[in-house]
Amino acid sequence: MSIVGVSFDSVESNRAFAETQAFPFPLLCDVDRKVGLAYKACETANDAYPRRITYVIGADGKIEQAIETKDAGGQAETLGRSLLS
Amino acid sequence: MVMNLISTLLRRVLGANVRLLAVGSTAPAFEVLDQSSVVRKLADYRGRRLVLWFYPKASTPG
Repeated sequence: MSIVGVSFDSVESNRAFAETQAFPFPLLCDVDRKVGLAYKACETANDAYPRRITYVIGADGKIEQAIETKDAGGQAETLGRSLLS
Repeated sequence: MVMNLISTLLRRVLGANVRLLAVGSTAPAFEVLDQSSVVRKLADYRGRRLVLWFYPKASTPG
C-alpha cells in the first residue's frame, strides 16, 4: 500500500513540511486545486484549504473507502481502524 | 447565500458522506508535482492500494 498527502501548499512549503516531519511518502502540491476539486475536498478553486478527507483507492483504481474527519487525530484514528478491520 | 443554506441543510439531513466520492466509483486521474517537484500520477499507483490523504496546510499540527 502506498500513501500520498495532498494539500494546496506550494512545493517550497511542502518541502519544508516533509523535511521537518520526515514523512516516508510524497506530499502533492495541488496549488490549482485540481485534485481537491476532483476528489471533492474543496468546493471551488479559490478555497484556502482542502477538507480533511482520506480516500483509500483499490488496486483496480476504484474508491474503496472515503472518510471525512473534523480533526487531525480523528483522521488518523479512523483510517487506522478501518484499514485494520 | 440561500444555496449555501440549502446545501448545509441537505448535508445535515443526508449526512456528511454525500459530499465525498462514492465508494466503488472510479478514482479521478491526477497529475501533480510533489514536494521534490516530481510529477505524481494516479496511474503510477495502479495495481497497488493507495491512501490519498488531504490535509489542510503544511507545517501545522493537522
